[in-house]
Amino acid sequence: MQKSLNSRATAAIILADLLNSKGSLSTALSKLRDRSDYSLIQELSFGCCRWYWLIQSQLNHFLSRPLRTKDCDIRCLLTIGIYQIREMEVANYALINETVEAARELNKPWATGLINGVLRAYLRGEKIKTFEDPTCASAHPEWLYRSIKAQWPAQAESILDANNLRPPMTLRINAQKISRPSYLDLLKKQSITASVGRTKTAVVLDTPCKVDLLPNFEEGFVSIQDEASQYVPEILDLKPNLRVLDACAAPGGKTCHMLEYEPSLKVTAVDINKNRMQRLKDNLKRQNLSADILIADVKNIKNWWDEQRFDRILLDAPCSGTGVIRRHPDIKVLRTYDEVLTSIEIQKQLLQSLWNCLRSGGLLLYTTCSILQEENQLQIRDFLKSTNTAKCESIEIEWGVECKYGRQFLPEVPTNNQNPDGFFFSLLRKT
Amino acid sequence: MALRTILEFPDMRLRTIATPVVNFDSSLSCLIKDMLETMYSAGGIGLAATQIDVHQRILVIDVSENRDKPQIFVNPTFTVSDQQNLDYDEGCLSIPGFYETISRPKKVVIHSQDQHGKHFDLEADGILAVCIQHEIDHLDGKLMVDYISRLKRNRIRSKLEKKHKAL
Repeated sequence: MQKSLNSRATAAIILADLLNSKGSLSTALSKLRDRSDYSLIQELSFGCCRWYWLIQSQLNHFLSRPLRTKDCDIRCLLTIGIYQIREMEVANYALINETVEAARELNKPWATGLINGVLRAYLRGEKIKTFEDPTCASAHPEWLYRSIKAQWPAQAESILDANNLRPPMTLRINAQKISRPSYLDLLKKQSITASVGRTKTAVVLDTPCKVDLLPNFEEGFVSIQDEASQYVPEILDLKPNLRVLDACAAPGGKTCHMLEYEPSLKVTAVDINKNRMQRLKDNLKRQNLSADILIADVKNIKNWWDEQRFDRILLDAPCSGTGVIRRHPDIKVLRTYDEVLTSIEIQKQLLQSLWNCLRSGGLLLYTTCSILQEENQLQIRDFLKSTNTAKCESIEIEWGVECKYGRQFLPEVPTNNQNPDGFFFSLLRKT
Repeated sequence: MALRTILEFPDMRLRTIATPVVNFDSSLSCLIKDMLETMYSAGGIGLAATQIDVHQRILVIDVSENRDKPQIFVNPTFTVSDQQNLDYDEGCLSIPGFYETISRPKKVVIHSQDQHGKHFDLEADGILAVCIQHEIDHLDGKLMVDYISRLKRNRIRSKLEKKHKAL
């Protein structure tokens, strides 16, 4: 048997598949967990997505004519080469050798000279102008760069920079099982340094680590969840025995959190994606929690709803993901504005149909991991116009930017230990 | 010691079913040395005797990172010990330059003899399990392209034939 493709060739195939719109980065990588060079492949593929637009514009200076469409893998290898020179501490001769060798393993020996030439020229610093074009320098696609600049003029620079940083690894402590100080002690024993976050349940690790190194993870002591979304149970004002709908629930992070916060809740979790629902089941099982699980398109309430109104609804709507770019840098490479328009339409339908399932006096919490106004503020404004039974409540937390129709967390370059994902909350009461 | 030539798909000799080894003598250890040398020089992690046109049931494998832990199997068979499957992007020295995702049982127990004829059992998982199943297939005249679609197989066949013609 032939040995596996080398790390660079593997990363190039992952990127090329991604560019040909086959799947996402995290699913492609999840198949490689058993490989000994997994972390290198992950570093290369995440890094190349993170800096994709910048590296492409540099690369174009070095190519006298564009590569053929079927040589997308070679373009990816060149991207990987430049990424290593820019961001990684690898000896230059080694990275050039390995990258050239990767072209051979991809059955494209004609490209070895090209790769060698381009990378050596890059190292000599030929033809690289300082970038006058701020879009390229920010490594964002143009539509997104413009939206961020227009919608968040004061914070734009910080958001753009933050999107290119590595995210922190944040844990949610299950208060039913262990207190936060005791869990910090357990981490300390494992020599994992961490500090408390701003929400009552959050712990932020100083450096990310593998999940299996976390003490008592399998016993459900902790889960992995960004700090911003850990505000959900608090904002939703969960009280004992309430009937709660978690629409778009999978993979179940927030479902579990609500039940940890208030175990007597009767939670119905609905999602259309069967595979992701399996992860929700696994998560519930790991933490010894239970909920009614329905696999259905939550928009068509006729298909799943038993006509009993809910006291609380969490609608964590599908969105552009523009708030979590640092965790999923492939969003910058793949997402188009047309897809954002599709999300907006789905969000609108979800709000309208789920509103019928809420009892009067009940609360619906609308959340997204987007920073675009049209999915957040404007979506809620339009919804309020369309109904006269909804009232927007103010959200009393001291974090994030207060907006007319909710509260927006922005990804920002961390200051004073503030480092949440981009996230939006809007709390609506039925009158 | 000598480097042997590795047969390449679609060579019909790769379809030969190998016969069990009976004599554990010096010619066997000589053959094993050649197989190891051939495997290391081709950058492989496993080689079946079939691939060098010797039709006896012998495998050499080295899945270690530093390429310093050769394992030798004579007359190997296996039983599946975990029905769950593992998907792995396999490559083959007889089908150079192509990788295909193949699904095989995750864990197997290997029953085999060493180069002196001594019997042993070994539980294998991960890459070793994949590799040993891939190599035992060779001894039975099977190739990894038998697991993929005819369309893909023919594409690989014509690409390799073109390459062989050019040589």
